[in-house]
Amino acid sequence: MIGDKVSVHYTGWLLDGTKFDSSRDRKDKFTFDLGKGQVIKAWDIAVATMKVGEVCRIICKPEYAYGASGSPPKIPPNAVLVFEVELFDFQGEDLSTDEDGGIIRRIRVKGEGYSKPNEGSVVELWFQGSHDGHVFDERDLRFEVGEGEGLGIPPGVETALQQMEKGEEAVLYLKPKYGFNSAGYEPFHVPPNAELQYEIKLKSFEKAKESWEMNSEEKLEQGALVKERGTEYFKAGRYRQAVIQYKKIIQWLEHESGLAEEETAKSKCLLLAASLNLAACYLKLGEHRPALDNCHKALEFDTNNEKGLFRRAEAYMGVNELELAKDDLMKVINLYPGNKAARAQLTQCQQRIRDQHQREKKIYANMFQRLAEKEEKESTKVAKEQLPSDDVEMSEEPEGRQPSDASRTVTGEM
Amino acid sequence: MCFKHRTLGQGGVIGLHSGPHNQTDGILIRNVGWNLIGPIAKCMQSCAVGSEKERGCLQLLNALIESCNPKEILLGILEQIDEAAGDHISRIILPFLQPLQIVLLKLGNKKSYSVGLSLSTIHSRLSNLPVPYTAQQMQEDKYSLCQCCLALVQFAQPFIDIVSQSIDLSKEADTEEMRKELLTFCFSCLKYPLLNAPLNTLPEDEGDHPLRVFAKQIMGFLVSLGESLPRTFVQRGHSAPTNDTEGSISGNEVCSVESLACLSYLLFVQHIGIDSFPFVFGPSFLVKSNMGHVAVLLKRTEESLLSKGLDLLEHSLLRVDNGSLPEDVLEVLTANQVLQDLVKVMTLCPIEHLRKKSLATLQLVIDKFCVEGKYKLFRCLLKISSHAGVEGYIIHNIKNQIDAALKTNPQNKWFLGTRLTPLLLSALSLSEGAETDLLQMSDRIMASLNLLRYLVIKDDDNETGVWSELAKIEQDFLKPLHTGLNMSRAHYDAEIRSTHEKKRGSHSGKPLCTVTAGGNKLPDMTPEMQLQVLQSALFTFDLMESVLARVEELIEVKLKSAPEGKIGSS
Repeated sequence: MIGDKVSVHYTGWLLDGTKFDSSRDRKDKFTFDLGKGQVIKAWDIAVATMKVGEVCRIICKPEYAYGASGSPPKIPPNAVLVFEVELFDFQGEDLSTDEDGGIIRRIRVKGEGYSKPNEGSVVELWFQGSHDGHVFDERDLRFEVGEGEGLGIPPGVETALQQMEKGEEAVLYLKPKYGFNSAGYEPFHVPPNAELQYEIKLKSFEKAKESWEMNSEEKLEQGALVKERGTEYFKAGRYRQAVIQYKKIIQWLEHESGLAEEETAKSKCLLLAASLNLAACYLKLGEHRPALDNCHKALEFDTNNEKGLFRRAEAYMGVNELELAKDDLMKVINLYPGNKAARAQLTQCQQRIRDQHQREKKIYANMFQRLAEKEEKESTKVAKEQLPSDDVEMSEEPEGRQPSDASRTVTGEM
Repeated sequence: MCFKHRTLGQGGVIGLHSGPHNQTDGILIRNVGWNLIGPIAKCMQSCAVGSEKERGCLQLLNALIESCNPKEILLGILEQIDEAAGDHISRIILPFLQPLQIVLLKLGNKKSYSVGLSLSTIHSRLSNLPVPYTAQQMQEDKYSLCQCCLALVQFAQPFIDIVSQSIDLSKEADTEEMRKELLTFCFSCLKYPLLNAPLNTLPEDEGDHPLRVFAKQIMGFLVSLGESLPRTFVQRGHSAPTNDTEGSISGNEVCSVESLACLSYLLFVQHIGIDSFPFVFGPSFLVKSNMGHVAVLLKRTEESLLSKGLDLLEHSLLRVDNGSLPEDVLEVLTANQVLQDLVKVMTLCPIEHLRKKSLATLQLVIDKFCVEGKYKLFRCLLKISSHAGVEGYIIHNIKNQIDAALKTNPQNKWFLGTRLTPLLLSALSLSEGAETDLLQMSDRIMASLNLLRYLVIKDDDNETGVWSELAKIEQDFLKPLHTGLNMSRAHYDAEIRSTHEKKRGSHSGKPLCTVTAGGNKLPDMTPEMQLQVLQSALFTFDLMESVLARVEELIEVKLKSAPEGKIGSS
């Protein structure tokens, strides 16, 4: 089947009988992926019809081989080629990253194009999962690659999807490691350590276009859609997914130039929203640094943005820059006196500043106290009896008398 | 010991040579003989190549190898090689190679580690030497690099033989280990010196020059070691940019992307090792796979690497028939990178023949792509090039494609009808409206005007959609161009007037800035020259304006003569 790894031995001649190539002479079987355009057209067509052990002779017209260009130095232009091919073996393609045979794919119908879904692509597919000949799941589904877990889609399927083309139909054979693991999957009555088989048809997918492929209109249009999707995720509490969406906007529009006036306004608006929302996501995720970066970005577009300032304050508090947080919060309250949340936050912030002062005081106080003690200790050097924990360490000191002292203290304690 | 030192210092080598025959001396030498290697090396450095004294030193060395522990001798020699620097590198390495080989062969069954250590030590020393670039430099071989390379081949040969004669590697752990060490060595030789070396055949030369011979030997070694060239090429080639750790060579970083690029170059451009490479791969697949390698080469700035990159791209494209490269090649990540770098070489590279070559290669890329590929290529190129000359060139190519579509293939859905519109609009635009620097952009603007003129004349039936888009084209292109021309002309007129006045006035005005080209300071511009430049700018504007006027005239005529409804339909 298409996509299978095929291994053959072959010899090739020109029509005049010159042998130009032979895998037998190299003593190295030739392996390739069938039907992927890796080899000349004649081979993709002919080898697909062969059985294991079959030996056949293929005569290829130039348009199915190297055409008018030929392939220097051995194949002249417009050459008819004759091959004798022996098929030894073919097997499904191993898609697992460790190449442990855990995800085997066999393609039933080849898809089109060269592009494949990536993490974050929205895929639309039909699939049927079975175990021991018993179908446990059959669905038409539309979802984003990377969040299959919540939908009862095993990781192996998601890995495989990223290797599939649009319109492709394939069978997957999954080892438990890439299926539902030792836990099994209760909703589908899949027992632990089950080997799974999936029939998949990838109907279509929507991939983030390369930014040069889109014109500014498309970017703005897509940007608005993506923003909505991001917001949905945010509301659902799925901040990671939301981040992927918002980041797209930044990626598309940040360096876009040559926009009309109206478009510039729109783009600014989207960028501002995206940065603000990204900041919110990161705050929720507890990642304060990227949150801070995005707040800075947002405030570049709009220096006095209420949300921007407020979120930056939150982020500052997250990284313990309390004074900076306070400044931002004061600014919010000055500009938008109605913002109660900011007031509450400010109180909290000031409380923390006070706390910190207290703590610092204590720490420094302690520090000075210790320094003082240390000095004292060193100057007198007489008082050697200290806390028991110190004694244990002292036992390693080279002074001969010390160890016995220490052990005595320790035993004494016990 | 002291005795030895003294004799060496005095050059009394012959007496020493007979030394080991003495019984007690023999034991002494067996135990501490390796200490002598340092002084011997110093002695050899000081004497002339091929002299009596040098031969004596070698004899002494051989005598030591006979009687001492080979492991100690090995370390002694490697220490000397490792310390070599500057001009001495080849001076030390060359005479020591043969003794080193003998020692290694004496090591018995566990020599793979030592072989690897020796090879990597020698290689790391050698890579401090500059690679000769011109034929003359190569002949001169000032640092004896070529000589060292050839000697190194001799050196490695017996170990290669051990591996290639082994029947079942899986049963001989040490040989398998040795194979890995030797592969590492071969791949590092591909990176240095071969990646930088000139490998083209010299037309007047009968035989091959040394580095080419070296390249052939190394490729031969790879094959002898049982490294499958197609497998290395396919697996590595595909995963090159991601640095995946998969592949035929057990995953560890045996070969860098540069070595692989060089391997590709040797195979496809120099046809070295191609006999061991299958002739069944599809041509477009080869282009796709080579994109990664080309990207690696074009990223660099050295002349030899850039020209290798261009050659590799050219040679992979030459295997593809015109108009048959599928558009999905553009979706390979590195393809985008290659295009950007190609434009970079074309516009920024200081070496003229590379600039010319890269332009020719770009045309080749355009020719090879199928119609859809061409369309996407143009859109992509217009986005990334940001150089008026290149953009003009692309617009010119767009015109040719539309011409071909109109003449031969009215079903062409990419260069006719709705699909063409966005491409057309981006070709017929001014990046910064009326404020565009017309002089800077003149190449592009002239090409755009030319394209528009062609469309207006040829396309009576609105097959290209130009008539439907006329309003937008006028708004975004023709009108701002008019305004821009008026502004620029006024500006330059004023400039000319002021220069004239200056000329009449004082002659001793200090220049505001100086220009240097190629390190030489160009003479200050005299007012006459300034006038000339300004004048030629005005000529450019004149030319632009006249073509613009002609286009607008044509549009008007066509609009009047065409029956209502015909234009603007479809």
